[in-house]
Amino acid sequence: MTNALECRAVSKSFAGVRAVEDVSFAVRDGSLCALIGPNGAGKTTLFNMATNLFPPSSGDVLFFGRSAAGRSPHQIAADGVIRTFQTARVFPGMTTLENVLAGAHLHVRAGPLSQMLWARTAREEERRLTAKADALLEMVGLRDARDRATADLPIGAQKLVEVVRALMAGPKLLLLDEPAAGLNDRETAELAALLRAICDAGTTILVVEHNMTLVMGVADQVFVLDAGRLIASGSPEAIQDDRAVIEAYLGREQGPEQRPMS
Amino acid sequence: MSGLVQIVIGGLLQGGVFAIVALGFSLVYRVTNVVNLSQGAFCVLGAMGMYYFQLEFGWPILPAAIAAVAASAVFALVVGAVTFVPAVSRLPASSALVLTAGLLTFFVGVTLVVWGNQPYSLPPFSGEAPIVIGGLRLPTQGLWLAAIAAAMIAGLWLLLQRTTLGRALRACAENPVAARLMGIDLPRMMLLSFALAALIGAAGGVLVAPIMSLQFDSGQFFTISGFIAVAIGGMGSFAGSIVGGLLLGIAEQFAAFYVSSLFANTLALLLLLIVLILRPSGLFASGPARRSDVRDDARIHRPVVRLRGRAAIGFAVALVAVLALLPFLPLPGGLLASLVIALILFIAVLGLDVLMGYAGQVSLGHAGFMAVGGYAAAILATSYDWPPLAATLVALVLSVACALVLAAATRQLRGHYLALATLAFGLLIDSLAVGLFDLTGGPSGLVGIPAFTAAGLAFDTPLRMYYLALALAVVLVVMLEGGMRMGFGRALKAVRSDQLAAAALGVNVGRVKVVALCISAALASLSGSLYAFNFHFLSPEIVSTSRSFEMIAMLVLGGEGTLIGGFFGSLVLTLLPTLVQDFAVFKTAVEGAILVVIFLAMPEGLFGRLAIWLEHSALRMPRLRTGVAP
Repeated sequence: MTNALECRAVSKSFAGVRAVEDVSFAVRDGSLCALIGPNGAGKTTLFNMATNLFPPSSGDVLFFGRSAAGRSPHQIAADGVIRTFQTARVFPGMTTLENVLAGAHLHVRAGPLSQMLWARTAREEERRLTAKADALLEMVGLRDARDRATADLPIGAQKLVEVVRALMAGPKLLLLDEPAAGLNDRETAELAALLRAICDAGTTILVVEHNMTLVMGVADQVFVLDAGRLIASGSPEAIQDDRAVIEAYLGREQGPEQRPMS
Repeated sequence: MSGLVQIVIGGLLQGGVFAIVALGFSLVYRVTNVVNLSQGAFCVLGAMGMYYFQLEFGWPILPAAIAAVAASAVFALVVGAVTFVPAVSRLPASSALVLTAGLLTFFVGVTLVVWGNQPYSLPPFSGEAPIVIGGLRLPTQGLWLAAIAAAMIAGLWLLLQRTTLGRALRACAENPVAARLMGIDLPRMMLLSFALAALIGAAGGVLVAPIMSLQFDSGQFFTISGFIAVAIGGMGSFAGSIVGGLLLGIAEQFAAFYVSSLFANTLALLLLLIVLILRPSGLFASGPARRSDVRDDARIHRPVVRLRGRAAIGFAVALVAVLALLPFLPLPGGLLASLVIALILFIAVLGLDVLMGYAGQVSLGHAGFMAVGGYAAAILATSYDWPPLAATLVALVLSVACALVLAAATRQLRGHYLALATLAFGLLIDSLAVGLFDLTGGPSGLVGIPAFTAAGLAFDTPLRMYYLALALAVVLVVMLEGGMRMGFGRALKAVRSDQLAAAALGVNVGRVKVVALCISAALASLSGSLYAFNFHFLSPEIVSTSRSFEMIAMLVLGGEGTLIGGFFGSLVLTLLPTLVQDFAVFKTAVEGAILVVIFLAMPEGLFGRLAIWLEHSALRMPRLRTGVAP
């Protein structure tokens, strides 16, 4: 069994602050995994390192057995690793359809010149991609938003557009940064079902999440990060009973500090 | 030896003014994160005020100087409050930068209206006789300049370091959002920095007017020199501004003395490019790190409006039909020739739209590519008897090569610096066109350029040129429409909207920008070549930085990101001076005002407005309605 993502002893310091310290874990190909942890545990830092927005201070990140070191974000995307962002980063000047089509960038074969010459291959490709985008928007119930500016949609819909846009890229590994933040319970349940369906269709998913209902409902495996360190990993059931995890989230019994579960 | 010292003294004098302008740049940049390109114009406003108070009204020097500086500062308060501050608060940083270019154009235009195109000079504060020390001639005005500049720098330092107001200004510089939460009135601080910088600039102008003769476009000169100084020294660093200004002054004096005054500018720009490439942030670190990320998020995005589907095709067919039939109408004399110019400029604006409207990259030196295209084609056709078509194509390749070199040299630069590197490029080409006398004919221009010929046809009448330009424009719009509506255009728009998100989807951001730059350079080059063949004449003035700003005004007036919008902008700004004869003198001022007002009040432009109107009319017909909001 190959690993879609493997972190080997990854650390990151920002001006002396150790945001992530010696973290190792592996996401098996074809699984749906979750990375959880309290605020400031280093989840997003780990994510940004994986997609090389900044390099790790030490350690190595591998995608499908290949080191990500020295590869720029767009090259990592070209390797089939597509990420979303904590705050929905849709393209505000574009319609929803255009946003989703932008996700197909890696699959556009026609060059700028053949597009400018209105070559038949370019037009047919455009038609094919548009049909695919329409099908995806239909699937998630966003058909009505197709020709509207995505920036005008409610935040939940924007986050969904971002997920659909990522799907349009046909990723082998999908990295989702808090997709359920800002969603209500019904939307969260729908998202959970969607993620399960995507995974079952063959895409490996790693989701960073605060929302326990989403994580516990669908994840095959859960990794728990606290204060930059990996403190537990295992099935959702095992994690729920793990002492270290409970302490990280709720604080030590009779301890002076209480950390609320977010 | 004493000759050398004399050059250094001359350099320090000139550099002193550059340092004062650079200081203004840094002050505004620190507080607003915007490079205020109108900065240099306040020198001329100050000098102009001094001219009226001292010479026309006959006031003594001190009251006249105080009144001139105070009037400039009050003027800056008003202009800043209605244009600069709203722009910085509401628009993306790149648009705010272009808006300040509009302000500069406006100020230059106003000076042209008031002063005409005559050079002006003021009497020195304490007589013409210089102080002579050991054979060295020291102009007394230089001492005034040095003393007052030093006093202003000390005063500014005290204000920033030792007063509550200064602390508030510095807080805005370091973290605008937090400063706001602490109860600091951010817009007021922005306005204050703008007016304070204007005051410093006006004082510099009053001091320097007796040494240099000033004319309407000196504001542009001060802005450019001050900008080069601040970029060398480090944007936002006060010490860097002063050192950069003095260095630049000395370098220019040496260049003028040992090489040629025609090349003084070229060498200064080369100095700038070298510094930018070796140390992208300048010689001095630019103060504390700034949290600009937080602020950019709060900004509203420019709306982009396009016609869709049948409406677009119908509109395009109607427009082309009208333009094709236009020459059969009884047109007033000279109108057809103006339409040819409008179409030729539109081709360049079209390329600018791909770069600015779609890819979101600001080019402040686009006329530089027009110059390369125009001069290369004209020189090949006149001196080497090349057929115009081949000359045009070779010039186009040369322009694209220049674009690639520029892209490679500026690869390390981000944000404003990139836009400013294009400004430097435009100026460099401009100064080469002036300096390479044997090749380009120097300031007086290149004459005897033949008419354009292709496939055995000579385009030697306005009518023939009109149809050539129209056919080219139509073909180019159709081609670019294809590129922009499909994958390539989406990649450009993605880069404009959010580079990080674009890269995460596999868009090679750097390459996409380079391709956009090459396309826009090619179109500007084509436009420049056609311009030369149409006029049979080319001078540096035709393809100067003013032209770059004018093309931006055309694009913004017509509507960015619409392709066809630029045509309306080009049409209006080209035809106005032809139709209204008395308008010519107001042209520059109106162009600047249009740029500023359109940015603030109608960011979608003329064509965008039209498209919104057509879209709304279409929505009133229920059968065209595509969907209802969920």
